[in-house]
Amino acid sequence: MLALFVFGLFSGPAHLAWSEEWSALLGTGGATAETIMWQLRLPRLVTAVLSGAALGLSGLLMQTFFRNPLAGPGVLGVSSGATLGVALVALGGASMGGVTGIWDMGPQVMGALMGGGAVMALLGLVMGRFRSRTALLIFGLMVGYLAGALVTVLQAGAEAGALQAFVHWGMGSFAHSGWASCAIMVCALTPAVFWSWRASSSLDMWTMGALTAATMGVDERRLSWTALGMAGVLAALVTAWCGPVAFLGLATPHLVRAAGISGRHAAMLWPVVLTGAAVALLADLVVRLAGVPLNAVLSLVGAPVVLMLIVGKGRIFSKVRNR
Amino acid sequence: MCSGLTLRHPSEGVGTLSFALSAGTALVVVGRNGSGKSTLLKTLAGLLPARAGSVSMDGVEIAAMRPQARARKLAFVPSTPPRGTVLTVQDVIELALEAGGHQADATSVEQSMLQGGVHPWAQLPIDTLSDGMAQRVMLARAAAQSESLILLDEPTAFLDVVGRREVMADIGQWLNVGKAVVLATHDLDAVQESGWADRWMVMRSPSQGGAVLPDEAFSSHAAKSMLMGEE
Repeated sequence: MLALFVFGLFSGPAHLAWSEEWSALLGTGGATAETIMWQLRLPRLVTAVLSGAALGLSGLLMQTFFRNPLAGPGVLGVSSGATLGVALVALGGASMGGVTGIWDMGPQVMGALMGGGAVMALLGLVMGRFRSRTALLIFGLMVGYLAGALVTVLQAGAEAGALQAFVHWGMGSFAHSGWASCAIMVCALTPAVFWSWRASSSLDMWTMGALTAATMGVDERRLSWTALGMAGVLAALVTAWCGPVAFLGLATPHLVRAAGISGRHAAMLWPVVLTGAAVALLADLVVRLAGVPLNAVLSLVGAPVVLMLIVGKGRIFSKVRNR
Repeated sequence: MCSGLTLRHPSEGVGTLSFALSAGTALVVVGRNGSGKSTLLKTLAGLLPARAGSVSMDGVEIAAMRPQARARKLAFVPSTPPRGTVLTVQDVIELALEAGGHQADATSVEQSMLQGGVHPWAQLPIDTLSDGMAQRVMLARAAAQSESLILLDEPTAFLDVVGRREVMADIGQWLNVGKAVVLATHDLDAVQESGWADRWMVMRSPSQGGAVLPDEAFSSHAAKSMLMGEE
């Protein structure tokens, strides 16, 4: 991951020399090089690291909470909800895209948080009514359709400039974020990681079923709202700055499990956070080298991974059918 | 431990139940489907509020306890073992010791697995075990968690003959070391065969007179005929 970070730092379209890049980092280089390094490349890389970590953790929490290996911010409609929130703000008039100042991004972040939060709250409320695990996935799918339809309505009425910015945002990118958003992300990610670590035993017990967990000392209401809240906030924040980033949340915990790290949450937490960050960095590197949008890169890799999980082991689907 | 308890059960009129359970004794709860066995167990576990009355252990009301404190007093085993979890047998026992407020070091984990007869599968995820094996892990889990009271809701419902016998033998062992047990079951024969049933409770519909707690000298045979309505 460190290597990816360093490589990402020293490569880019500006073709700076090594020495230039290095001195810019230290603050002794030219103004242009310094801007490129400090205002473009570094924040982009840090954003990728934080977003990947946040989405990975969000996916892990959702898979644990819903006891469903196919859960993730995208699958459950949280990203769709956040997208709708952003669309309301962005297409409803406010400025959009390429803005790095926290105050300009404010409305967009609020929109994403409210949209994602609304879907999360709805999930929390109706969860007890799902008869099977498949119902949960269908719920996410339908929320996605609904939000998508509303977004289309907003798009149809939007002016060309705002529409273009919105479509561009929807392709996903780590490039449009700045230091301020990175700082907010750290403020959200730190307590989420800390809580997941503290509550790791409770999360383990939760995988044995709500009844068993409750009689093993887990405060069901508290765990539900904290896990859902944190997973939702992390996914919504990433969506606000980077667009509805595909597959990272769903696939990261599976990549960690495929690497043989599984079992208790205490053992999975750091690998998931680090793998999410590494995958995001790698994807961003491909984006920059190949000039393909982030979501295209992630979907091209993510979709086959999920298909392999379903078809290859045949286990996930049998489990889904089980309950 | 349980006084003037009225259950929050849809059919109501199960009646008012009062009983005490001391260490090393078992209460076997029988009754038809939907008669309120699960409701009784969940109320005893503090998961459902009672309509009236109270459940207490060692003088403390269970409904007033925080989940963590409650987990140190009692353990609960539902009828179906968990599915879809990645935890191994060892993980589960570790968590149980933690939940019960005990030391979860390697020695105690090993000992709990030996006592529950699940040590051969220590490193296996419980998801890969058969229903019978997984249920025995859940029994070992409950035993590792609670030293005083274990509630079991039809633990043998999905098990074969051998599995049932093993579960009943496990319960017999717990009674010998002084744990109290409340067992809801349809498996009258297996209980009778095991020979440790101290007390029975028959849950009947209101028209049949509600729940009763017959005295000693009551057997699974009597329970059976009572359930069939041939008093």
